[in-house]
Amino acid sequence: MSKVKTEKESSRDQFVDCAKNGKILINQCTKCNNLNLETVYFCDKCFNNSFTQVAFNGYGKVITYTIQSVVPEGFEDVESYAWVVFKLDECDLNVSGFLPKISSPNDLPLGTSIKVVGFDVKHGLVLEKSAV
Amino acid sequence: MGEKVCVLGAGSTKYGKLNESIIEIALNASKDAINSAGISPRDIKAGYISNVFGVTDKQVHMAPVIMSNLGIPEVPGLTIESACGSGSVMFREAYANIAAGFYDCIIAIGVEKITHTGTVESTTLFSYCSDFFYEGGNGASFPGLFGSMARAYLATHKATEEDLARIAVKNHENGYLNPKAHIRKKITIDDVLKSPVVASPLKLYDCCPFSDGASAVILCNEEFAKKIGKPYVEVIGSGRGASPAAVQSRKDITTIPSTVNAAQQAYKMANVSPKDIDFVEVHDCFTIAELIDIEDLGFFPKGAGAQAVREGRTTLKGDIPVNPSGGLKSKGHPIGATGIGQVVEVFDQFTNNAGERTVKNAHIAMTHNFGATGASASVHIFRKVE
Repeated sequence: MSKVKTEKESSRDQFVDCAKNGKILINQCTKCNNLNLETVYFCDKCFNNSFTQVAFNGYGKVITYTIQSVVPEGFEDVESYAWVVFKLDECDLNVSGFLPKISSPNDLPLGTSIKVVGFDVKHGLVLEKSAV
Repeated sequence: MGEKVCVLGAGSTKYGKLNESIIEIALNASKDAINSAGISPRDIKAGYISNVFGVTDKQVHMAPVIMSNLGIPEVPGLTIESACGSGSVMFREAYANIAAGFYDCIIAIGVEKITHTGTVESTTLFSYCSDFFYEGGNGASFPGLFGSMARAYLATHKATEEDLARIAVKNHENGYLNPKAHIRKKITIDDVLKSPVVASPLKLYDCCPFSDGASAVILCNEEFAKKIGKPYVEVIGSGRGASPAAVQSRKDITTIPSTVNAAQQAYKMANVSPKDIDFVEVHDCFTIAELIDIEDLGFFPKGAGAQAVREGRTTLKGDIPVNPSGGLKSKGHPIGATGIGQVVEVFDQFTNNAGERTVKNAHIAMTHNFGATGASASVHIFRKVE
């Protein structure tokens, strides 16, 4: 993980910028050290709104997912994919994203290692299976 | 609370694919509710409407339009949206206004018209009810979100896809007895298991349909109900809860915190426990939702719901009949109307209008309705007034 400098752009934009570099941007509460996703404005434990931004490596393990036959608009161009919830390896936080090229549950046992590889304006947080 | 709150009348359109405009659908249910209560529109002091996708039928701000067409344009109305839980949230607001003494009689109308948009557009619109940045925006549809919850549940607890299928079969059995149900068709476990996968592990028959429809009820205080002299039902418990909006943010994906919290509030207010409930209408948008609901509402311990389903304990003749109406799965899910439709079922059951699906010797009933994947939920408890 690495500390990043706060920039004057929206929290979502900062999250996206980080994801484009394969990282997940987290807000660490300056009062109680609780970890929240970057998009949270107040700590959900102590309600403090002062945070240190920390970029965690986007590696994690799949905790659940689905493969859909009818997809929302904007995803029709993808042959098959999984929507995945995964737990980050470096901290106790879950994130969800888009994992292309998954057509069967056999392709993705629970616990599979994955990593963030980018953020696509059309498909959101893009994931890939990882060897780690 | 202050005033006792009663449900004095109820009406519903058939749920399904309807040709009328959204306003006409709402008015049809309203007319039936008003007639059922034995009142005149002039008795109504306020109108509460629940709706989500009125814009697709070119109507927002629909409360004044409905009030005007009921002949009471001077009566204030408002529209409430809380995704699939809109109806019960709106019911609670109407309830609170009667209990507080602001009004003695309110019409509460839930309505939706969505089937004209087609499957892909509907799927997209529903995905806007999720935490879109993390869910819909990453490609999750609503079946997909519940599919992910189902996969987590099946991996964690003693349950199988066949157990989920049993829930669908049971709700279709009940819905077959409901003339207003969207899908009146008995199905088998095999039918469910062999139906096409929609969002793994959920299959077509694990999913409720997109429905049009409206339901309406008349709420009033006890003095008003007694003055009218028609049979009525008393609301004895009301609770609302909330969960993290995104599935990823829940510590346990196999439970819905908003349901647990809302149920605890309603039980406490009604001074009853799960064993006192004679039947329950739960939010079964997908079979996995009913399995999670019956545990979160306290009818069965966590992880024991599937065994209860296998033993037939949730059937019409079981010890806790679940969804005698057919539920969202068979009766249908016009999302703005669903929460009120559940109250209509309680009213019909308690006033001898439920026909063959009547739950025998029932005196206390519960409704449970949530928005999205349970980001918001409401629970109400009702008592039959003998």
